[in-house]
Amino acid sequence: MKKRIPVLVALFLSLSLLVSLAGCGQPAQSTAQNKIVLGVPTALGTVEGKDSLNSVNMAVDEINAAGGVEVGGKKYQLSVVSIDTREAEAGIPVNDALTAVDKLISQNKPNAIVVGAFRSEVLLASMDLVAKYKIPYITSIGMAPDYEKKIGENYDKYKYFFRMGLNSTYLVDYLNKTTGYIGKNFNFNKVYFMYQDVAWAKGTAAGVAAWAKSNGWTIVGQDSYPTGASDFSSSLAKAKAGGAQLIVPIFDMPQAGVLVKQAKSMQVPALLEGFISPVSAGNAWTTFNGEIDGFVNFVYEAGPIPLKNIPKSAAYNDAYAKKYGEDARVKLAGHGPGPAYDSVYVLVDAIKRANSLDSGNIVSALEKTDYDGVIGHIKFSKNHQVIYGENAKETASGLAFQWRAGKRVVVFPADAAESQIQLPQQ
Amino acid sequence: MVANLLIYGLVNSVVLMLTALGFSLTFGLSGVANFAHGGLYLLAGFLAWIFINSFGLPAALGMILAVIVVGILGALIYRFILMPVRGIVLSEVISTFAVGVAILEFFRWKGFVTYDFSLPVLVQGSVKISGVSIDYQRLLIIAIGLALALLLWFFTHHTRIGLALRGMSQDEYTALSVGIESDWAGMLSLALGAGLAGVAAVVILPLGIISINMGYDVLLIALAVTVLGGLESTTGLVVGSFFVGYAMVITSTYLGPQWGEVVYLGAIVLVLAVKPSGLFGKSKELEERV
Repeated sequence: MKKRIPVLVALFLSLSLLVSLAGCGQPAQSTAQNKIVLGVPTALGTVEGKDSLNSVNMAVDEINAAGGVEVGGKKYQLSVVSIDTREAEAGIPVNDALTAVDKLISQNKPNAIVVGAFRSEVLLASMDLVAKYKIPYITSIGMAPDYEKKIGENYDKYKYFFRMGLNSTYLVDYLNKTTGYIGKNFNFNKVYFMYQDVAWAKGTAAGVAAWAKSNGWTIVGQDSYPTGASDFSSSLAKAKAGGAQLIVPIFDMPQAGVLVKQAKSMQVPALLEGFISPVSAGNAWTTFNGEIDGFVNFVYEAGPIPLKNIPKSAAYNDAYAKKYGEDARVKLAGHGPGPAYDSVYVLVDAIKRANSLDSGNIVSALEKTDYDGVIGHIKFSKNHQVIYGENAKETASGLAFQWRAGKRVVVFPADAAESQIQLPQQ
Repeated sequence: MVANLLIYGLVNSVVLMLTALGFSLTFGLSGVANFAHGGLYLLAGFLAWIFINSFGLPAALGMILAVIVVGILGALIYRFILMPVRGIVLSEVISTFAVGVAILEFFRWKGFVTYDFSLPVLVQGSVKISGVSIDYQRLLIIAIGLALALLLWFFTHHTRIGLALRGMSQDEYTALSVGIESDWAGMLSLALGAGLAGVAAVVILPLGIISINMGYDVLLIALAVTVLGGLESTTGLVVGSFFVGYAMVITSTYLGPQWGEVVYLGAIVLVLAVKPSGLFGKSKELEERV
């Protein structure tokens, strides 16, 4: 018997693994009466997924504390059911993530889905699955523009889908604007692109490169890195040798934080401007021992940093710190939380205006959304993408900040900027 | 560019060697393919982070403690997980893999997914060598990696314990007949291998941040390098690391980084097809000739 115990332990561990791989990490709750159930199927093991779920829960608690939602003379409380799709983890196929989404919908019968897929590949694949159930789906992390293209091509089937977060097209537009500013103000015209080998990053880099080429920039080089790569010396050496004045990195993998540190240690005399998720949070200065000075990083949607031109962003930050602690607020992800929070309010606003829980009526009301949120002013385009721009009074807004002496100084857009982009001291 | 390639190729090679050293040593000394290697690597990183940031220990002390704890855990894995299935290769692989995955997924479950887990570098600053800037931490990695490889070669070839362990790996029954206890040898080899995974973690991880998926990558790298060089050969490990390390850097520089990762996976396939025992492996050499 004694000898069997370790074997049993090993068997138990293997079974635990199988159970967790099946997407059963978070038990779903049952739907109660007088409840409006919001489903959150996303990659909860990621910073973006976790912070987005926190933001959804915060909005739900606020609405419930204020008396809930009145529909047809009846009061409803909101409730949240979540499931971890694990889609951001290595080796998890799209199909497994879809199984988790299907499980959440069939078991909990949510009235709507918020946050949604993490990876664009899963987002696009889940459209057909969710369309069967005809429930509103407001995504805030997946960025592929094909999402709204599909909605436009087959409106009747996909009219339930909306996107609150930034898409790649808007990100390219933002990067073009800041790159243009850098070129004009510092007389730069040599750029090097480094990006992750995933659909959204490749698309973004290609978009900015096309713009740069047609605006007089010389592209010194372009390299794509597989997810998980942690040595960037070959590209940095080529950028240095080629005289690149600007390096545009586009990554959402944890290992990419090495890039900025390595550029410093290799004394590459170029400004870095782009998106590296691990260098976005407020505590990144400490994490990277201050070796990120001068890096210009994007926050895709307003929310994680209080902005002077969006009053609700300050209130959101205060509430988040109160509920989850200042430490958690400082670490808020640069993509996802703001739109996730606003998704709940926008959905409730639509339900109230529709005075109905019927999906078709909610969709019609959502299309007419005209709401001031944490991410700026929210209106959906014809194909259900929230319109992003630079004036938060008229559109939703992203932002860029520059790391300077341990602080995130907002440098874009002009409405929110505390300062202009500066060249780091070499 | 050539100087850059030589220097960063050396760094990459030593990182690969350090990463695989523990895996190779354990297999070389006890014949156990420890698939918990990636989990133990990451455990050492997170433990060091906890010792330094939660307990306030000095960085060097936190790192040493993490290595010791992981080394002890290696011995315990042998005692409680491997001993009952010893000799059944498939069971050894499955049970160690399960332990490794359990460690990695435990940290994911406990929320170690944020971007704030990083270890401090032991030496700040950088220096120029032949016009190429390189930081002291990477130089430290080179120094520690090469010193460990030498030390292990000496240990396994010129000390009584090392020779006993090698004897056990070559022929367990003959070793038993001269008084070498096989379970003692197995426990020691797992402890040493796990400790080396820990050393690799605390010197390599300060270059970036600790993320859970690294554990899986580390296991793949360890497998690639040791299969290439020969599973039980220290010389093979060194040659395999340098071969893969330089091939990755040259490919990344001239073909693009996306091809760099293909190199080590391609190397496994090629070597297994042409010389299954690896470049310097002896264990299956006779069978191959037959």
